[in-house]
Amino acid sequence: MFDLKKYRKKSPWILHYNAGSCNGCDIEILAALSPKYDLERFGVINTGNPKQSDIFLVTGPVTYRTRERLVELYTQMPEPKVVIAVGSCACTGCVFRDMYNVEVGIDRYIPVDVYVPGCASSPELIIDGVVKGLEILEHKSKEMEKPFKLFKAATIDDGIVNRRHSALKVGEDDAKD
Amino acid sequence: MMEAFFIAVAPLLGGLLYGFERVLRARMQNRKGPPLLQPFYDMYKLIGKQAFIVNPYHSILGIVYFITLWIVVAFIILGENLLYIIFLHLLSVVFLILAGFSVRSVYSHIGANRELLATLAYEPVLVMMAVGFFMINGSFEISAIRANASSIIPLFLLFLTFLMIIPVKLKKSPFNATEAHQEIIGGVEVEYSGVFFEFMYMAKWLEYVFIYLLLMLFAGDNIALGTALFIGTFLLVNLVDNATARVKMRDLIKIVLTLGIVLGTVNLIGLSYV
Repeated sequence: MFDLKKYRKKSPWILHYNAGSCNGCDIEILAALSPKYDLERFGVINTGNPKQSDIFLVTGPVTYRTRERLVELYTQMPEPKVVIAVGSCACTGCVFRDMYNVEVGIDRYIPVDVYVPGCASSPELIIDGVVKGLEILEHKSKEMEKPFKLFKAATIDDGIVNRRHSALKVGEDDAKD
Repeated sequence: MMEAFFIAVAPLLGGLLYGFERVLRARMQNRKGPPLLQPFYDMYKLIGKQAFIVNPYHSILGIVYFITLWIVVAFIILGENLLYIIFLHLLSVVFLILAGFSVRSVYSHIGANRELLATLAYEPVLVMMAVGFFMINGSFEISAIRANASSIIPLFLLFLTFLMIIPVKLKKSPFNATEAHQEIIGGVEVEYSGVFFEFMYMAKWLEYVFIYLLLMLFAGDNIALGTALFIGTFLLVNLVDNATARVKMRDLIKIVLTLGIVLGTVNLIGLSYV
């Protein structure tokens, strides 16, 4: 019988979403898809349609305007799927960390599998991140992965509100119930 | 027996053709490109994905589109009536358009509208092509057309118009406004996912087989000419696809309908005087 998981790795289709980024990481993603770096040799197509995508590439710190769309797009993607945070903003918030209109990275809203650092991250790093995501995609099952609940009550260290450490992990609030 | 084998593997042949085309287009753009079997990897992956059903009618119409198209290809291989095949193909496109209108997505509606307009543009050309074959061979039967000598010289203008509608059918530049992947995310296929999208994906392969089998009819019983026509057209269509930008839907209809009808009518009138 065919092992479908093997083929899952060979044809990843990506969905690219800009969650308030400065466009720096976005043009690097497009550079990775262009003839010079050629992500298509791994079978990657930039679909732009969440219902037919496997890999969710998110750039930028999440602003209040984009977070609803971020969660909406994540829930519209069929399992199995991999989320890759591209750029320092998407990973941690970067220089916008703890500003009033910016969230601290996308992992407060959706589960992230691969973090690609850099401001802006280079096409080589993005390709490495996508290839790393493919290994994770191979092991994921068709079952639903639980999205994160937002966060616990904010803890204050040294007078700085750090919401990252107060974010709930998968299944943590279930254990409480 | 041979026909049954070809009918069974028709989607696979189309898939190989599509995979080869992706490699060829990558090489034209000076890059490596995906592996040859990439369409099949995509297909296996789509089986393993979760499928979202918008409504059952929508999902079933996608499958019906695929099956009708397979029947059309089977009838061409068996050598049935050309006019009947063209109208049955129109029916399969109607299923696709109905599928586009059966969901509430705006992109899907725009895609279905454009598909309808494109059908309006290329259908007269296909019918005129069938009439041209009838005037040459005295029969609409494909088996009779295949038994006679090549009719590419008397039908040369119709052959040119047929070359023009190949990009419309295969969703290629400059005439890919029906799909327009960057703006309307694929048009009709936007709401399909998982195993249901797989049928739409395989239907695309069958479109390749359909259009190139119709192209081979111009060669008649000359197999060498048929092969040359196929290879030449394949390269030409991909070269044009890589070298041109997309035209607007309005321009697509203007170009295909006016040029197609004028060239086709001139050819048919000329044939009636010969």
